[in-house]
Amino acid sequence: MPKIEIEEKLFSHFLGKSLEIDELESIAVAAKAEIDDYSEEEGVIKIELNDTNRPDLWSTAGLARQLSIYMTGKKYSYGFLSTARERKEHGERRVIVDTSVNSIRPYIAAFQADGKGIDDALLRDLIQSQEKLCWNFGRKRSSIAMGVYRADLIKYPVHYKAVDPVETRFIPLGEESKMNLKEILEKHPKGIEFGWIVRNFDRYPFLTDDEGKVLSFPPIINSAELGAVKTGDSSLFIEMTGTDLNSLLLAASIAACDLADAGFRIKPVMVEYPNKTPYGGNITTPYYFQKETRLDIKYAEKLLGIEISAEEAEKLVEKMGNTVRREGNSIVVIPPPYRNDFMHPVDAIEEIVIARGMESFDPVLPEDFTVGRLSRIEKLNRSVRDIMIGMGYQEMIYNYLGSKKDFVEKMNLGGNDIIEIENPMTENFEILRNSIIPNLLESESISGNALYPHRIFELGKVAVKDEGKNYGTKTKNYLSFLISDSEAGFNEVNNHLSAVFYYLSREYSLEEGEHPSFIPGRTADVIFKGKKIGIIGEIHPAVLENWGIEMPCAAGEIDLDFLID
Amino acid sequence: MMELESIVKGLHPLEIKLLLSAGPGEDITKEKLIRELSYNEGQCNQAFSWLSSKGLIEEKRRTKRISYELTELGKEYQAKGTPEERILKLIGEEGPMRLPDIANKLGLENRDVGSAYGKLSQKGLLKMDQEKKVCLAESGRGKPVDLELTRSLLDKLAETKQLTDEDLNDKEKALVSTMSRKRSSSKGVFRVIEREDVIYQLTEKGLAAKKILKREGITGEEVGSLTPEMLKDGTWKGKNFRRYNIKIPPSRVLLGRKNPYVAFLEKLKNKLTSLGFEEFDGPLVETEFWNCDALYMPQFHSARDIHDVYYVKEPTHAKEIEQPYLDQVAATHENGWKTGSKGWEYSFDRDFTRRLILRSHGTVLSAKTLTHAKIPGKYFGVVRCFRYDKVDATHLADFYQTEGIVLGEEVNLRTLLGLLKMFAEEVAMATEVKYVPGYFPFTEPSVEVHIKHPVLGWFELGGSGIFRPEVTEPLGIKVPVLAWGLGIDRMALMSLGLEDLRELFSKDIEEVRLRRERSNL
Repeated sequence: MPKIEIEEKLFSHFLGKSLEIDELESIAVAAKAEIDDYSEEEGVIKIELNDTNRPDLWSTAGLARQLSIYMTGKKYSYGFLSTARERKEHGERRVIVDTSVNSIRPYIAAFQADGKGIDDALLRDLIQSQEKLCWNFGRKRSSIAMGVYRADLIKYPVHYKAVDPVETRFIPLGEESKMNLKEILEKHPKGIEFGWIVRNFDRYPFLTDDEGKVLSFPPIINSAELGAVKTGDSSLFIEMTGTDLNSLLLAASIAACDLADAGFRIKPVMVEYPNKTPYGGNITTPYYFQKETRLDIKYAEKLLGIEISAEEAEKLVEKMGNTVRREGNSIVVIPPPYRNDFMHPVDAIEEIVIARGMESFDPVLPEDFTVGRLSRIEKLNRSVRDIMIGMGYQEMIYNYLGSKKDFVEKMNLGGNDIIEIENPMTENFEILRNSIIPNLLESESISGNALYPHRIFELGKVAVKDEGKNYGTKTKNYLSFLISDSEAGFNEVNNHLSAVFYYLSREYSLEEGEHPSFIPGRTADVIFKGKKIGIIGEIHPAVLENWGIEMPCAAGEIDLDFLID
Repeated sequence: MMELESIVKGLHPLEIKLLLSAGPGEDITKEKLIRELSYNEGQCNQAFSWLSSKGLIEEKRRTKRISYELTELGKEYQAKGTPEERILKLIGEEGPMRLPDIANKLGLENRDVGSAYGKLSQKGLLKMDQEKKVCLAESGRGKPVDLELTRSLLDKLAETKQLTDEDLNDKEKALVSTMSRKRSSSKGVFRVIEREDVIYQLTEKGLAAKKILKREGITGEEVGSLTPEMLKDGTWKGKNFRRYNIKIPPSRVLLGRKNPYVAFLEKLKNKLTSLGFEEFDGPLVETEFWNCDALYMPQFHSARDIHDVYYVKEPTHAKEIEQPYLDQVAATHENGWKTGSKGWEYSFDRDFTRRLILRSHGTVLSAKTLTHAKIPGKYFGVVRCFRYDKVDATHLADFYQTEGIVLGEEVNLRTLLGLLKMFAEEVAMATEVKYVPGYFPFTEPSVEVHIKHPVLGWFELGGSGIFRPEVTEPLGIKVPVLAWGLGIDRMALMSLGLEDLRELFSKDIEEVRLRRERSNL
């Protein structure tokens, strides 16, 4: 969940008033925001935004807007948005998209923002919201990347195309000499960080103006010439490139609304695509594409457990900054341009909940009668647990992830059935365990100073590969137990096993078994209803040596799933 | 005084009998105890040492005491006869014989035979004939006094083990001194032991203790342990039982025990079943479909990147996803299907949805339960989940989540709040409850519940909401479904007195053995 830092002064400026920190805290629920930290000295508030579908809240302007609407009912309207029916004037401002980006990074949205000169705080906030938007909502720039440029240096139309990474050279931001695109991926910090997004393509996305001056190599880095925005710049060109058109258009609208709130005049740009998009071949951005959402009041009443009139519902949904139309016993919600989180009528219901306040809903208990019941394996586990404890065993509980070293090498096993993780974070957690015995042995290896005898067990899950299953794997419920002292041996574990079976009213038999972790001739397969369901025996001294254990150990392990009728 | 009473009650029979046997100013010695109370030497030492340390007797003076014992050789002589006795017997029975032949016959060394012959010939019992054979002397028919004296001493010592100076007359003393070496010598027949005897007397406190013993009728003859025989033959009747010192620190007991964290989870499960919830369970390896897609998390969602879940290396994909759920979920993502939603509006990847992963949250099982849930129904699970997280005090790579659902025609936001309130009060002992709007991709509306816990103060107990129709309808459920999850880790840590999540899964046997619950769930 994204966290942002807002400067109190800038925030108060957007909000039109200043709030005490606890006032802010209580009102922040309207934006599902929580205050993480507040530094009165620096005047900086750290805020966590819980709703990953509301990227409009991830900037000072956006958060202030939502809270201001909620508190004061202030109306915000933005006249620069084009729609399917109405295209706003773009003048000479055009972006021409070349077919070469189609399979790489097909979409772009852009606009120009003119004002009285951007100040420090606003520039910092613009950069922060750009980062949050592109990192969290734009999947680390892969689906959305944003660039800001000095519009006064740009000669329209801007050209968006894919170019040869070796032949194309420019001076990237933060460098002093020209580099080709390949070098940027290899050497520039941003190239190293974001290079994965484009590396596998033959050609890389590239933005120039009509005179060939370089804007940027999206989604990696701006040019040092046009892409270095400083305090005082009064005319900005803002573009976003990406792979998902709706996300991109939304992100462009959010940025435009934020800058408009800061006093900039937003000037639309027409993007000319070589092919048709869901919104036509030419899209003038910022572009409003959100659909209406119709909410039947009866549905709202059912889901909320309250009675509410269409009129009340209308007022409440409006209170959150939406435009609402009443149609009989339904309301139709028209979301603001910076929101695209209305997918279903339930999303409108949430607006009612937040606007009305959670505390206005009286908790009641569900009245339906239902029977509580433990799962079958839990019931069996409890029976087995009682027996093991009665025999003097200490129950253990372990993590299910482990290393090949512990579960394969130290056990003298081949590890063919073990489930490996493709993307382990460390080698300590690279496999899902297929047996509990290695966990028990690890306990022994670090517990040599614990008073003997040791009797330990765990009831838990393991998983193995199993080609016959739909998932190619099978999760099993195991009982594993281990004894360790100078006399620990086969007979004792067999005695204990037989007690377990006796009190579960089940019968088992033993057959001579072989297992690389156990001593030959002192190992047995546990047979239940003609199937091998486990193993008991004395742990092989070579295995004990691998674990650094200097006390004999005997152990047993059975698959309890077989015992469930 | 109380102190003395309690000392007296803790006295051992050996101490009690000693105290009772001694009068004021009367000497107490080992000898006396051996003689009168039939103590052995070890028992004497124990009684002296215990009573002196309690200040009931004190040392008055020490005396030297000489005593005699048989050496190994002496024991042999006593049993087989002295060389002198044996030689006399042999010659008497077999007639004259040369010295080396005697040594051979008797298995003695020449040297010993020689010196015995010397003694016997001196006494005129044996002589040497012309052939250098030893034969009985004319005058030597009767046995001389000292041979008999030796025999009687050997026999007496063999019987009593030990004799003191006082037990011997002067002749005996003289004889013993010729045939003995001092201390531990093996060549002599007798061992002379010089010892220092300590002589004790009762102290004032000892006399007082004795009074108490008499008052209480404690004799030291009380029964130590009640035996099955005593019960069988009834000899316990009329006997008193020895009083124990109940202040002796108890010893460590190794017992079989539930793991305290498991006990915590068991109680949680008991609580939930008592509230009408049925437990669900499922595999550790899951598909992207059930882990995320069925929960209406779009496949392009940032939480679904490679670095947030663990992918299974081999096999990589499930063979198939159950129908009609696959088609219905795919359509819901793409265009909302029949749910009334516009969907996420992208092209659903049916290969990716089969990708095998380690389940990353318990809600997977809530979703799967929907396909066969009863209506009305309440379900829960305490579910092991896996996260791609750096492991530290507050993050684990695998851990438990407690999750559940409530299905029914009548469930709604208010019953959700009621349910959360019940959890807060019943499961977490909350004194205050606060509800805050939250966000989860699969619920709408979503509610976070914050509670004031009597020990932990305010914290977020869990997240919840009403499942989106995009989740329930493709899985065949037409009624509203409340979904909830509780964060019980902090309560578990608190209840076990721990501060680090890793300790919940401690491998250290001793740590687990000694761990205990601080308070009840």
